[in-house]
Amino acid sequence: MLYSTHDLVAIIPELILTGFAFAILLIDLWLPKRAKTINGLLALFGVVFSFASVLTMYNTNMTAFNNMIVMDRASNFASIVMLLTAFVAIVMSFDFLKREDYNLGEYYEVLLFSIVAMQILASTYSLIVMFIAVETLSIGMYILTGFLRNKDESVEGAMKYFILGSFASTFLVLGIGMFYGLFGSTDLNVIKAGLTHASAFYRWISILAFLFVFVGFGFKIAAFPFHSWTPDVYASAPTPMSAFMSVAPKAAAFLALLRFVAVGMCPIEANWTKILWVIAVATMTFGNTVALWQKDLKRLLGYSSIAHAGYMLVGITAANELGYGSVMFYLFAYLFMNLGAFAVAEFISQKEDRGTEIENLRGFGYKYPLIGAAMLVFMFCLAGVPPTAGFVGKYYLFSAAVKSHLYWLAIIGVINSAISAYFYLNIVVVMYMRGEAKENVQVFNSVPVKAVILIAAICVLYIGIFPSSFLSAALNSVVF
Amino acid sequence: MDINQLHFPILSVVTFLPLVGAFVVALINEEHENLIRYVTFGFLVLDFIISLPLFFYFDPTTYHMQFVERVPWIKSLGFQYYVGVDGISLFLVLLTTFLTPLAQLSTWKAIDKKVKLFNITVLLMQTGMLGVFISLDMFLFYVFWEVQLIPMYMMIGIWGGPNRVFATMKFFLYTFAGSVLMMVAIMALYFLNHKFTGTYTSDMVKLMQSPLPYHLQLWLFLAFFIAFAIKVPMWPFHTWLPWAHVEAPTAGSVLLAGILLKMGTYGFLRFNLPMFPDMTHAFAMLIIIMAIIGIFYGAFVAMVQPDIKKLVAYSSVSHLGYSMLGMFALTQVGMEGSIMQMINHGISTGALFLLVGIVYERRHTRLISEYGGLASLTPAYATFFMIFTLSSIAVPGTNGFVGEFMVLLGAFLDKHIWGVLVAFGGIFSATYMLTMYKRVFFNKVTNPKNLGLPDMNIREWIYLLPLLVFVFWIGIYPNTFLSKMRVSVEHLLKQVNRTTVVAPAKNEQVSMTKTVVVKKG
Repeated sequence: MLYSTHDLVAIIPELILTGFAFAILLIDLWLPKRAKTINGLLALFGVVFSFASVLTMYNTNMTAFNNMIVMDRASNFASIVMLLTAFVAIVMSFDFLKREDYNLGEYYEVLLFSIVAMQILASTYSLIVMFIAVETLSIGMYILTGFLRNKDESVEGAMKYFILGSFASTFLVLGIGMFYGLFGSTDLNVIKAGLTHASAFYRWISILAFLFVFVGFGFKIAAFPFHSWTPDVYASAPTPMSAFMSVAPKAAAFLALLRFVAVGMCPIEANWTKILWVIAVATMTFGNTVALWQKDLKRLLGYSSIAHAGYMLVGITAANELGYGSVMFYLFAYLFMNLGAFAVAEFISQKEDRGTEIENLRGFGYKYPLIGAAMLVFMFCLAGVPPTAGFVGKYYLFSAAVKSHLYWLAIIGVINSAISAYFYLNIVVVMYMRGEAKENVQVFNSVPVKAVILIAAICVLYIGIFPSSFLSAALNSVVF
Repeated sequence: MDINQLHFPILSVVTFLPLVGAFVVALINEEHENLIRYVTFGFLVLDFIISLPLFFYFDPTTYHMQFVERVPWIKSLGFQYYVGVDGISLFLVLLTTFLTPLAQLSTWKAIDKKVKLFNITVLLMQTGMLGVFISLDMFLFYVFWEVQLIPMYMMIGIWGGPNRVFATMKFFLYTFAGSVLMMVAIMALYFLNHKFTGTYTSDMVKLMQSPLPYHLQLWLFLAFFIAFAIKVPMWPFHTWLPWAHVEAPTAGSVLLAGILLKMGTYGFLRFNLPMFPDMTHAFAMLIIIMAIIGIFYGAFVAMVQPDIKKLVAYSSVSHLGYSMLGMFALTQVGMEGSIMQMINHGISTGALFLLVGIVYERRHTRLISEYGGLASLTPAYATFFMIFTLSSIAVPGTNGFVGEFMVLLGAFLDKHIWGVLVAFGGIFSATYMLTMYKRVFFNKVTNPKNLGLPDMNIREWIYLLPLLVFVFWIGIYPNTFLSKMRVSVEHLLKQVNRTTVVAPAKNEQVSMTKTVVVKKG
């Protein structure tokens, strides 16, 4: 037999989700149209069970399938982020799909499969497994982006995403091929061992291969200059999916990138930190600068997510334990603030997922005091103002850079955060300082969405004020 | 050494009681506006009463931090919830708890829209401001430092004048940009301190003894300097201030001038002076020159203002110039004068903004030319205005005199020329304040709209009288206050004048020998 039961233990969380996905696939056939919500509930149960299994096995450290799969605290931490995101996205989808009249089982099923792929991406040291996982999750994301198939923008977004994504994957597989050619393996530990004693020529080829692989990851995390799909896709995808895509695949891709650079590329650290320095600066600056001119909330959040990827790259560029831990912590914090903000975008959206212009938030703070206050918290959090999780996260990311004496990187980072304050606060201005709400603006009065918004706001504040235990968990998770 | 003579977390209670108040107010129905006002005022007064033991139990014989509380906060990085006060921060805490209820009282009529949100904002701001003054952990300090921006941003933006959005954005972005640089400096200080002492700490009292080499002090000093200079604001970083003051509602201006600006001067006393003594000496001259320019610039610009509030705003630039001058003269009397000046500015300028608010509430204009002859119409108002005007231009017998005289004396002791130069500043401040007073209150009533202007009501008396008491108390017997700050100031000066023992870490010594070898080779 190619695998043992021991191997299967390492992928229990993935197996649970796969099982539920198949269950949805079957049960969906017999469900009458009005009972399709059962699909969503099943998906929710799948996520909860998978989450429970991750939590119970949180401290295990095992490898399986001939070192192809690992289960360690890092993968479990990332899984927690992804499953929480999925949970929230599914909750946000219930009423959304009903409104759009697209309440189909495929939605949940594709979602579950793509989470499986993300979990695999987060739990491997093998480049080839990473490639397969990236491809699998991308296919899921393409489908979900264009899920509202009668909406032109949605289809256009999916098409763009698909074409650019395939292109990026080509580079990824090329880079992997080069590493295999150089060191005879796609396992990062083998590559590391090979690189340590490699000749100067091999090192230069490795840097080239690193760049190619980075194109693939950079595309997934939306780093400049591989970001161009992000705003279109976020603006046109169904809002719950935009929310999901802005966090979960990033969590997986960031962890994979971490493993790639911190383990595999460790011997050429001096080289890749320079490359990532430039990319981090470009990513933050681009995202924040372009976001200044955005009129649509979802598109703004798209650019803002580029900027945030830049902040997280700062943590990786720092190349120390604090930096890696901060990236994980930031992903966890980002989960709540970004999902909250997207939930507000869904709250103000109209049929066909339109009407998310920032202008529609006028007077929002008075019309919906609690949700307005929550949005205020999310905006200050994204801008990195205490006492929110966003501030703590940024503080750690930048202090990791300072620890590695990358003072300019930290300074550019904080200046970016000051620039970003302008457009985040502009939303606060529209909500509170530009007079009363327009009478004819309707909101999407969905109870689950409102619950998501309020709970996310509370979490953001709680993590911001008592970050200690979350931070320790994040720091302990990335001991490679 | 930590002291908590009360064995009771008094500082936490004082700081977080307003936060509790904000939650209580949040639960009240929006329609009960008066109830909201009473409850908020009640919480603020209670907060003031609870803060009084700080004054009575304060031990003036030690420079150690008092009423200290220390709880681990973020364990993996060693950040603590560490709070306490010494002779420098004590009065700023008391000034905050004293001034905020008075400012809130002034809004009972003026703020008639979104009353609930306004009062919640005031309460949150109180927590943020107090937090800045009591924090002894620099991470905690930074958190509070930024937190209090949010309520002020909301206050100017929602209840401000016609240009409120521009003013509030400018206020926020300006201060935020300054403080994020300070954030990098805080991080750098944390790691550099580890390099030179071997411990990771964000404890400000310990960091004050950190032996940092000269060239590193430079960058850190500059980063902190920019953040605090924007906040004070020192010339030429002051451009946000007139906007913010003019657009802010009265209570916002009072708190902004009375307390928020003090965070800047306080920051200098807590970070720049004790932590980077070499740079303090190196930059003292430059900062004094900037302070003197600020004193004159503020006065000159104030002279030509048609708007009373803008005039008072520019006078703030001038007054805080005195505070900076006294501080960087680096003499005992100058430093004490500087702290007195902070308190005095809070009282006098706070009162002047309240007074401007009173007349604005009745006439909805602040232009000097709209008034004239008010002395005959509203005698009580004119009397109050006179006293605070005199206090603002530092007439002997008022609080302003004590502060300015001490600053001048301190500056004179440092270099005679500073004292001589700045003594002229007093003339200019008399010029703009008295000219304004004359045009508003004397002569005949020329504008018919002012006829029948009602004099001050009881509520207005209530919030101005306490300020009046302090004008004379500090003016006549300042020793009540000076005696409590003396030892702390002495200690601070000792820290500033310490000869920095630069203990280079081992690896740096190695690298230095290396370069020498290379050069020889």
